[in-house]
Amino acid sequence: MVATAPEPSTRSRSWRWTAFTGVSLLALVTIHMVAHHFVVDEIGGLRTYQHVLDYISTPIIFVIEGVFLVVVTVHAMLGLRSVLLDFGLNERWRQRLERGLVALGIVTVVYGFILIGVLASRA
Amino acid sequence: MSETRAPLDRERDPGVEEILRGRRQRAPVSRKLPGPIAWFDLRSRSTGHLAFSLNRVTGLGLVAYLYLHLAVLSQLLGGEDAWNGFLEVATTPLFLGLDVLLVFGLLAHGLNGTRVALVGSGFVPNRQKALFWSLMAFGAIVLIYSALHIFGGEA
Repeated sequence: MVATAPEPSTRSRSWRWTAFTGVSLLALVTIHMVAHHFVVDEIGGLRTYQHVLDYISTPIIFVIEGVFLVVVTVHAMLGLRSVLLDFGLNERWRQRLERGLVALGIVTVVYGFILIGVLASRA
Repeated sequence: MSETRAPLDRERDPGVEEILRGRRQRAPVSRKLPGPIAWFDLRSRSTGHLAFSLNRVTGLGLVAYLYLHLAVLSQLLGGEDAWNGFLEVATTPLFLGLDVLLVFGLLAHGLNGTRVALVGSGFVPNRQKALFWSLMAFGAIVLIYSALHIFGGEA
Protein backbone atom coordinates (compact mmCIF):
# COMPACT_ATOMS: atom_id res chain seq x y z
CA MET A 1 0.00 0.00 0.00
CA VAL A 2 1.54 3.27 -1.10
CA ALA A 3 0.63 6.15 1.18
CA THR A 4 -0.22 9.40 -0.54
CA ALA A 5 -0.62 12.76 1.15
CA PRO A 6 -3.56 14.94 0.13
CA GLU A 7 -2.84 17.79 -2.29
CA PRO A 8 -1.53 20.96 -0.57
CA SER A 9 -4.67 22.92 -1.58
CA THR A 10 -6.89 20.24 0.04
CA ARG A 11 -4.77 20.31 3.19
CA SER A 12 -4.93 24.07 3.31
CA ARG A 13 -8.70 24.16 2.75
CA SER A 14 -9.23 21.50 5.38
CA TRP A 15 -7.02 23.42 7.85
CA ARG A 16 -8.93 26.66 7.21
CA TRP A 17 -12.29 24.97 7.77
CA THR A 18 -11.01 23.28 10.93
CA ALA A 19 -9.74 26.62 12.26
CA PHE A 20 -12.92 28.50 11.26
CA THR A 21 -15.28 25.95 12.82
CA GLY A 22 -12.98 25.70 15.86
CA VAL A 23 -13.08 29.44 16.49
CA SER A 24 -16.88 29.45 16.01
CA LEU A 25 -17.14 26.60 18.50
CA LEU A 26 -15.40 28.66 21.18
CA ALA A 27 -18.50 30.88 21.30
CA LEU A 28 -21.07 28.13 20.65
CA VAL A 29 -19.67 25.68 23.22
CA THR A 30 -19.46 28.45 25.81
CA ILE A 31 -23.15 29.34 25.24
CA HIS A 32 -24.13 25.65 25.34
CA MET A 33 -22.16 24.84 28.49
CA VAL A 34 -23.25 27.97 30.37
CA ALA A 35 -26.90 27.37 29.43
CA HIS A 36 -26.79 23.73 30.50
CA HIS A 37 -24.55 23.82 33.54
CA PHE A 38 -24.35 27.34 34.92
CA VAL A 39 -27.87 28.80 34.64
CA VAL A 40 -30.05 26.20 36.36
CA ASP A 41 -29.62 26.25 40.12
CA GLU A 42 -29.48 22.48 40.63
CA ILE A 43 -26.62 20.08 41.34
CA GLY A 44 -24.80 19.68 38.02
CA GLY A 45 -26.91 22.49 36.55
CA LEU A 46 -29.00 19.98 34.57
CA ARG A 47 -32.45 20.98 33.36
CA THR A 48 -35.69 19.15 34.14
CA TYR A 49 -37.75 17.72 31.27
CA GLN A 50 -40.05 20.77 31.09
CA HIS A 51 -37.05 23.13 31.35
CA VAL A 52 -35.44 21.39 28.34
CA LEU A 53 -38.62 21.68 26.25
CA ASP A 54 -39.08 25.36 27.15
CA TYR A 55 -35.43 26.05 26.42
CA ILE A 56 -35.22 24.33 23.03
CA SER A 57 -38.54 25.72 21.79
CA THR A 58 -37.30 29.31 22.12
CA PRO A 59 -36.65 30.30 18.46
CA ILE A 60 -33.25 31.93 19.01
CA ILE A 61 -32.06 29.00 21.13
CA PHE A 62 -33.31 26.53 18.50
CA VAL A 63 -31.26 28.38 15.85
CA ILE A 64 -28.16 28.58 18.07
CA GLU A 65 -28.36 24.87 18.99
CA GLY A 66 -28.93 23.99 15.30
CA VAL A 67 -25.89 25.99 14.20
CA PHE A 68 -23.91 24.42 17.06
CA LEU A 69 -24.91 20.93 15.87
CA VAL A 70 -23.78 21.63 12.29
CA VAL A 71 -20.53 23.36 13.24
CA VAL A 72 -19.51 20.78 15.87
CA THR A 73 -20.22 17.93 13.43
CA VAL A 74 -18.17 19.52 10.63
CA HIS A 75 -15.30 20.15 13.07
CA ALA A 76 -15.50 16.59 14.42
CA MET A 77 -15.49 15.02 10.93
CA LEU A 78 -12.52 17.16 9.84
CA GLY A 79 -10.68 16.19 13.02
CA LEU A 80 -11.42 12.49 12.51
CA ARG A 81 -10.23 12.77 8.90
CA SER A 82 -7.00 14.34 10.04
CA VAL A 83 -6.43 11.63 12.65
CA LEU A 84 -7.22 8.77 10.28
CA LEU A 85 -4.98 10.18 7.55
CA ASP A 86 -2.11 9.76 10.02
CA PHE A 87 -2.37 6.04 9.29
CA GLY A 88 -0.94 6.75 5.84
CA LEU A 89 -3.89 5.70 3.68
CA ASN A 90 -3.52 5.40 -0.08
CA GLU A 91 -5.63 7.50 -2.48
CA ARG A 92 -8.38 4.90 -2.83
CA TRP A 93 -8.83 4.51 0.93
CA ARG A 94 -8.56 8.24 1.47
CA GLN A 95 -11.52 8.81 -0.86
CA ARG A 96 -13.53 6.08 0.86
CA LEU A 97 -12.73 7.64 4.21
CA GLU A 98 -13.85 11.07 3.07
CA ARG A 99 -17.12 9.74 1.65
CA GLY A 100 -17.73 7.78 4.86
CA LEU A 101 -17.12 10.83 7.02
CA VAL A 102 -19.45 12.98 4.88
CA ALA A 103 -22.16 10.30 5.25
CA LEU A 104 -21.59 10.03 9.02
CA GLY A 105 -21.72 13.82 9.33
CA ILE A 106 -25.01 14.04 7.41
CA VAL A 107 -26.59 11.26 9.51
CA THR A 108 -25.44 13.00 12.70
CA VAL A 109 -26.84 16.39 11.69
CA VAL A 110 -30.14 14.93 10.45
CA TYR A 111 -30.61 12.88 13.64
CA GLY A 112 -29.73 15.89 15.79
CA PHE A 113 -32.27 18.10 14.00
CA ILE A 114 -34.97 15.43 14.33
CA LEU A 115 -34.18 15.25 18.05
CA ILE A 116 -34.34 18.98 18.75
CA GLY A 117 -37.29 19.39 16.34
CA VAL A 118 -39.37 16.74 18.13
CA LEU A 119 -38.51 18.24 21.53
CA ALA A 120 -39.33 21.78 20.42
CA SER A 121 -42.69 20.60 19.05
CA ARG A 122 -43.61 19.10 22.44
CA ALA A 123 -43.29 22.37 24.35
CA MET B 1 52.46 16.87 34.33
CA SER B 2 50.33 15.02 36.83
CA GLU B 3 49.67 18.26 38.84
CA THR B 4 48.12 20.01 35.77
CA ARG B 5 45.80 17.15 34.88
CA ALA B 6 42.02 17.86 35.07
CA PRO B 7 40.32 16.45 38.15
CA LEU B 8 38.91 12.97 37.85
CA ASP B 9 35.23 12.61 37.00
CA ARG B 10 34.38 11.38 40.47
CA GLU B 11 35.77 14.62 41.94
CA ARG B 12 33.55 16.87 39.83
CA ASP B 13 30.86 18.97 41.39
CA PRO B 14 27.51 17.21 40.81
CA GLY B 15 26.09 20.46 39.39
CA VAL B 16 28.82 20.59 36.72
CA GLU B 17 28.16 16.99 35.84
CA GLU B 18 24.48 17.80 35.38
CA ILE B 19 25.29 20.69 33.00
CA LEU B 20 27.69 18.53 30.98
CA ARG B 21 25.12 15.75 30.79
CA GLY B 22 22.62 18.24 29.38
CA ARG B 23 25.12 19.39 26.73
CA ARG B 24 25.97 15.91 25.52
CA GLN B 25 24.43 14.92 22.22
CA ARG B 26 21.39 12.80 22.88
CA ALA B 27 21.21 9.55 21.00
CA PRO B 28 18.38 9.54 18.45
CA VAL B 29 15.25 7.86 19.74
CA SER B 30 14.18 4.92 17.64
CA ARG B 31 10.49 5.31 16.76
CA LYS B 32 8.90 2.37 15.06
CA LEU B 33 5.35 3.10 16.08
CA PRO B 34 2.74 4.03 13.43
CA GLY B 35 1.49 7.66 13.32
CA PRO B 36 -1.35 7.82 15.85
CA ILE B 37 0.33 5.49 18.34
CA ALA B 38 3.48 7.62 18.20
CA TRP B 39 1.47 10.49 19.76
CA PHE B 40 1.85 8.71 23.08
CA ASP B 41 5.61 8.28 22.67
CA LEU B 42 6.85 11.30 24.60
CA ARG B 43 10.56 10.34 24.70
CA SER B 44 12.71 13.40 23.96
CA ARG B 45 9.66 15.28 22.71
CA SER B 46 9.11 19.03 22.90
CA THR B 47 6.23 21.01 24.41
CA GLY B 48 4.89 21.32 20.86
CA HIS B 49 4.59 17.54 20.57
CA LEU B 50 2.93 17.32 23.98
CA ALA B 51 0.42 19.97 22.85
CA PHE B 52 -0.20 18.11 19.57
CA SER B 53 -0.79 14.80 21.36
CA LEU B 54 -3.06 16.47 23.92
CA ASN B 55 -5.10 18.03 21.11
CA ARG B 56 -5.51 14.72 19.29
CA VAL B 57 -6.41 12.72 22.40
CA THR B 58 -8.91 15.30 23.71
CA GLY B 59 -10.34 15.67 20.18
CA LEU B 60 -11.03 11.94 19.92
CA GLY B 61 -12.54 11.99 23.41
CA LEU B 62 -14.84 14.85 22.43
CA VAL B 63 -15.98 13.07 19.26
CA ALA B 64 -16.85 10.03 21.39
CA TYR B 65 -18.67 12.36 23.79
CA LEU B 66 -20.65 13.95 20.91
CA TYR B 67 -22.27 10.60 20.11
CA LEU B 68 -22.69 9.68 23.78
CA HIS B 69 -24.38 13.05 24.29
CA LEU B 70 -26.79 12.45 21.39
CA ALA B 71 -27.59 9.01 22.82
CA VAL B 72 -28.23 10.49 26.27
CA LEU B 73 -30.41 13.28 24.85
CA SER B 74 -32.45 10.63 23.06
CA GLN B 75 -33.76 9.75 26.56
CA LEU B 76 -35.81 12.93 26.27
CA LEU B 77 -37.82 11.29 23.49
CA GLY B 78 -38.95 8.72 26.08
CA GLY B 79 -40.79 11.44 28.04
CA GLU B 80 -40.47 12.93 31.50
CA ASP B 81 -40.07 9.65 33.41
CA ALA B 82 -37.20 8.49 31.20
CA TRP B 83 -35.45 11.86 31.60
CA ASN B 84 -35.96 11.94 35.38
CA GLY B 85 -34.47 8.47 35.60
CA PHE B 86 -31.43 9.71 33.73
CA LEU B 87 -31.15 12.83 35.96
CA GLU B 88 -30.97 10.64 39.06
CA VAL B 89 -27.93 8.86 37.63
CA ALA B 90 -26.42 12.02 36.11
CA THR B 91 -26.30 13.84 39.44
CA THR B 92 -24.26 11.13 41.20
CA PRO B 93 -20.67 12.14 42.08
CA LEU B 94 -19.26 9.75 39.46
CA PHE B 95 -21.21 11.37 36.62
CA LEU B 96 -20.51 14.87 37.90
CA GLY B 97 -16.83 13.90 37.86
CA LEU B 98 -17.24 12.90 34.21
CA ASP B 99 -18.77 16.34 33.57
CA VAL B 100 -15.62 17.90 35.01
CA LEU B 101 -13.57 15.61 32.74
CA LEU B 102 -15.64 16.90 29.82
CA VAL B 103 -14.89 20.50 30.81
CA PHE B 104 -11.19 19.58 31.00
CA GLY B 105 -11.35 18.12 27.47
CA LEU B 106 -13.16 21.17 26.11
CA LEU B 107 -10.73 23.60 27.72
CA ALA B 108 -7.59 21.68 26.72
CA HIS B 109 -8.79 21.18 23.14
CA GLY B 110 -10.34 24.64 22.75
CA LEU B 111 -7.47 26.64 24.21
CA ASN B 112 -4.81 24.56 22.50
CA GLY B 113 -6.72 24.85 19.23
CA THR B 114 -6.90 28.61 19.71
CA ARG B 115 -3.10 28.65 20.04
CA VAL B 116 -2.69 26.60 16.86
CA ALA B 117 -5.13 28.84 14.93
CA LEU B 118 -3.54 32.08 16.15
CA VAL B 119 0.03 31.00 15.41
CA GLY B 120 -0.87 29.16 12.19
CA SER B 121 -2.73 32.14 10.74
CA GLY B 122 0.07 34.54 11.69
CA PHE B 123 -2.03 36.66 14.07
CA VAL B 124 0.44 36.28 16.93
CA PRO B 125 4.23 35.81 16.93
CA ASN B 126 5.46 32.26 17.09
CA ARG B 127 5.84 31.91 20.87
CA GLN B 128 4.27 28.49 21.04
CA LYS B 129 5.66 27.36 24.37
CA ALA B 130 4.78 30.51 26.33
CA LEU B 131 1.35 30.68 24.70
CA PHE B 132 0.66 27.01 25.43
CA TRP B 133 1.52 27.21 29.13
CA SER B 134 -0.29 30.57 29.58
CA LEU B 135 -3.47 29.16 28.04
CA MET B 136 -3.20 25.97 30.08
CA ALA B 137 -2.82 28.04 33.28
CA PHE B 138 -5.95 30.01 32.32
CA GLY B 139 -7.72 26.73 31.55
CA ALA B 140 -6.77 25.32 34.95
CA ILE B 141 -8.39 28.32 36.69
CA VAL B 142 -11.60 27.95 34.63
CA LEU B 143 -11.60 24.19 35.30
CA ILE B 144 -11.39 24.69 39.08
CA TYR B 145 -14.23 27.24 38.95
CA SER B 146 -16.33 24.90 36.80
CA ALA B 147 -15.67 21.88 39.04
CA LEU B 148 -16.76 23.83 42.12
CA HIS B 149 -19.93 24.94 40.34
CA ILE B 150 -20.79 21.49 38.95
CA PHE B 151 -20.40 19.91 42.38
CA GLY B 152 -22.69 22.58 43.84
CA GLY B 153 -20.15 24.77 45.59
CA GLU B 154 -20.26 28.48 46.10
CA ALA B 155 -18.45 29.39 42.85
